[in-house]
Amino acid sequence: SCSLSITVHVFSNLIMEEASPPLRCFSESHSSELFSDDGVQTVTSREQVSLTLSISYVCQFLARCQSPTGGFGGGPCQHAHLAPTYAAVNALCILGTEEAYEVISREKLLDFLYSVKQPDGSFVMHVGGEVDVRSAYCAASVASLTNIITPTLFDGTHNWILSCQNWEGGLGGVPGLEAHGGYTFCGTAALVILGKEHMLDLKTLLRWVTSRQMRFEGGFQGRCNKLVDGCYSFWQAGLLPLLHRAFFKEGDSTLSVSSWMFERKALQEYILLCCQNPGGGLLDKPGKSRDFYHTCYCLSGLSIAQHFGNKDLHNELILGRDENRLVPTHPVYNICPEKVAQAIEHFHRLPVPVQTGPTPSAMDQS
Amino acid sequence: MAESEEEVDVLVQRVVKDINNAFKRNPNIDEIGLIPCPEVRYNRSPIVLVENKLGVESWCVKFLLPYVHNRLLLYRQRKQWLDREALVDITCTLLLLNPDFTTAWNVRKELLQCGVLNPEKDLYLVKLALSKHPKSPETWIHRRWVLQWLQKECSPSGQELKDQAEPRGDAVGRRPCERLQRALQEEMRVCADAAGRYPSNYNAWSHRIWVLQNMAKGNLKVLHDELSSTRLWVSMHLSDHSGFHYRQHLLKALARELSQVGETELHPSKQPNGESTAGASDDNHHNDVIPQLFHEEMELCTDLIESFPGHETLWCHRRHVFYLWHQWRREHLQGAGSQSPPLTHTDVLLSEEPCDDSSTSQTMDVDCVLDGSKHGSYTQDTKRLKRGPLLPHPALPSEHTFVSRILTDCRSTEQNRFAIAYRKWLDSVIGFHDPYMQRPRHITLIFLAP
Repeated sequence: SCSLSITVHVFSNLIMEEASPPLRCFSESHSSELFSDDGVQTVTSREQVSLTLSISYVCQFLARCQSPTGGFGGGPCQHAHLAPTYAAVNALCILGTEEAYEVISREKLLDFLYSVKQPDGSFVMHVGGEVDVRSAYCAASVASLTNIITPTLFDGTHNWILSCQNWEGGLGGVPGLEAHGGYTFCGTAALVILGKEHMLDLKTLLRWVTSRQMRFEGGFQGRCNKLVDGCYSFWQAGLLPLLHRAFFKEGDSTLSVSSWMFERKALQEYILLCCQNPGGGLLDKPGKSRDFYHTCYCLSGLSIAQHFGNKDLHNELILGRDENRLVPTHPVYNICPEKVAQAIEHFHRLPVPVQTGPTPSAMDQS
Repeated sequence: MAESEEEVDVLVQRVVKDINNAFKRNPNIDEIGLIPCPEVRYNRSPIVLVENKLGVESWCVKFLLPYVHNRLLLYRQRKQWLDREALVDITCTLLLLNPDFTTAWNVRKELLQCGVLNPEKDLYLVKLALSKHPKSPETWIHRRWVLQWLQKECSPSGQELKDQAEPRGDAVGRRPCERLQRALQEEMRVCADAAGRYPSNYNAWSHRIWVLQNMAKGNLKVLHDELSSTRLWVSMHLSDHSGFHYRQHLLKALARELSQVGETELHPSKQPNGESTAGASDDNHHNDVIPQLFHEEMELCTDLIESFPGHETLWCHRRHVFYLWHQWRREHLQGAGSQSPPLTHTDVLLSEEPCDDSSTSQTMDVDCVLDGSKHGSYTQDTKRLKRGPLLPHPALPSEHTFVSRILTDCRSTEQNRFAIAYRKWLDSVIGFHDPYMQRPRHITLIFLAP
């Protein structure tokens, strides 16, 4: 039998891309946190671990990416944007030290969120930018982790997200667009944060996402009739824990108590057999080159497939050697559950800030 | 080989100039691309212009890109000044190589806003960038920004202000709707090109939908034209889920617009003497057009499914079209806007195969069905029915017949699987929710056999 092994060599190449550094911080720190300390030693005995995470250094760098008007940009002195904001807050929560938490200016962050909030409940990705459902997820994620949700911050948001669900059952980027894995995860996770996931047509969504697992490859496609891609191991498979929980809350007695509603072994096979670069790092599909994004999301998907449930109902299905085991990831935030709990505990000791910036209607959005 | 900063500087200046000159020499460049050429050649220009194609030799990118990127960032941080012309050239070079660089697009927005840049130039740059990066989200976003900016500028108030500021020249003869028409066609062309360059190009098709919603709102002619012009395209891109989704969007939009048109025709004005005037001479037109559209789409789908077995998208399209049709019929059966419930009822009878124990006759004899509900002379309904046989409208029984036909003839396991899955969907999703659409029992028995 073939031996399945997972090796990760975290590499550093500066990619000349915008919005990259905070996203890289998140990708790298999340990828490494998925390996427990033991795992890293055993698994990478043949490979050199070039993982140096100086927590203070990262905190200082991310602090420089924070905009004076709130939120985080793609790099120092860049305008705030919801994607690097999401990544930065997640990265800081993974680091989990007081220093890390204190980097975030909560009052300014709230102002930033209000500045990108639209009257119809949606959010633009940055001031003057476009709306799509990722922004709602980014906003809901950072606001809930840092405890800055005011009574009006998410007015109308859940209704707007719901209007993104189309007849296929998945969600599009904006209402009326084709259902798409990434957008579907973002919309659903945002609704879970807002406590409104039951308002989705859950059955149709379930039908759509389960149809996205490819019967030959075992991995997931992003949309109907497209090719498999390793990153959808998280965006698509990650929907199943959310749906499972939603059905459970509705009192569905036919729910499995041992597995998410997708083929967990097949997904692990795809990731381990097809998505690894021999030099370390993970990728979309054979033939593609490795990158931080795919490393992060393939590993996140692997974790989802390995771990079902929590507490009493927790079970593990590890394909290959025990060393392949990753730690569980939180299905909504995609950082380790302990880090989520720790961050929420820390920030809930602080009062919710008062909005000080101008309201959305007062701002010129053109 | 280590490059000195001077060498890189010289190289970059040269490349930026060469690209600029290339555009001056040939304003009809319609495509850019990277020429795989790993060997560094300092004494040769990496810019190659052949006919209307602009090529960049790949060796220079790793020098060019960080350098130009850096210069722009320094400008943005106010650490280094760049004059307007340099900004235009630098952003152009940058964006042709890396169009997801938002800062560069933002610089161009500012240049546009202070009148240094012609918006048409930016639309051209976007089109070129898309020829190499057909998905690039930032590029599509910038295009929409420019189009919105142009719309504001060309709105009546905007136009007036412009006319006052400058002599009108040859703008006198141009009508706004002509310009809009050309702009619309150009957008569709850009979308189609990008869609052809990358399969299931989500961003290209999303942009196309945006164009419909923002540049052609409620325009029935455009919707119809798009339906015709994309027909051939989807027939040649059978797995392009985004292309078919666009047709679904068109159908939905057409059904919505036509129904609204019908609504306004449903309430004819009353004359002072109390009699109501007749509506338009063919005020059931919309009621014909919509079923016709769905029928044609289902026919197209049937044709493609039969000719090209095993494409999941085609089956997905069929589901969606049938679902839309099903929804529209339900709304018009129960909806307040429906002028003719009896018509639809008859329509259902006509399109379904006879039930085993049903007493309803499959009949064109309209009078005995309508008689009780309408008194007086011929209505438009009866006139229409008497014109000739109705097109069979999609319905559960006919769909089941279609599935059986496919299963009998099919040799492809994929096709087999899709057909069975479709049938299951019909039963569990459509049949379950609509008692009107329950298929007759005798057909159930046939399908239970393995």
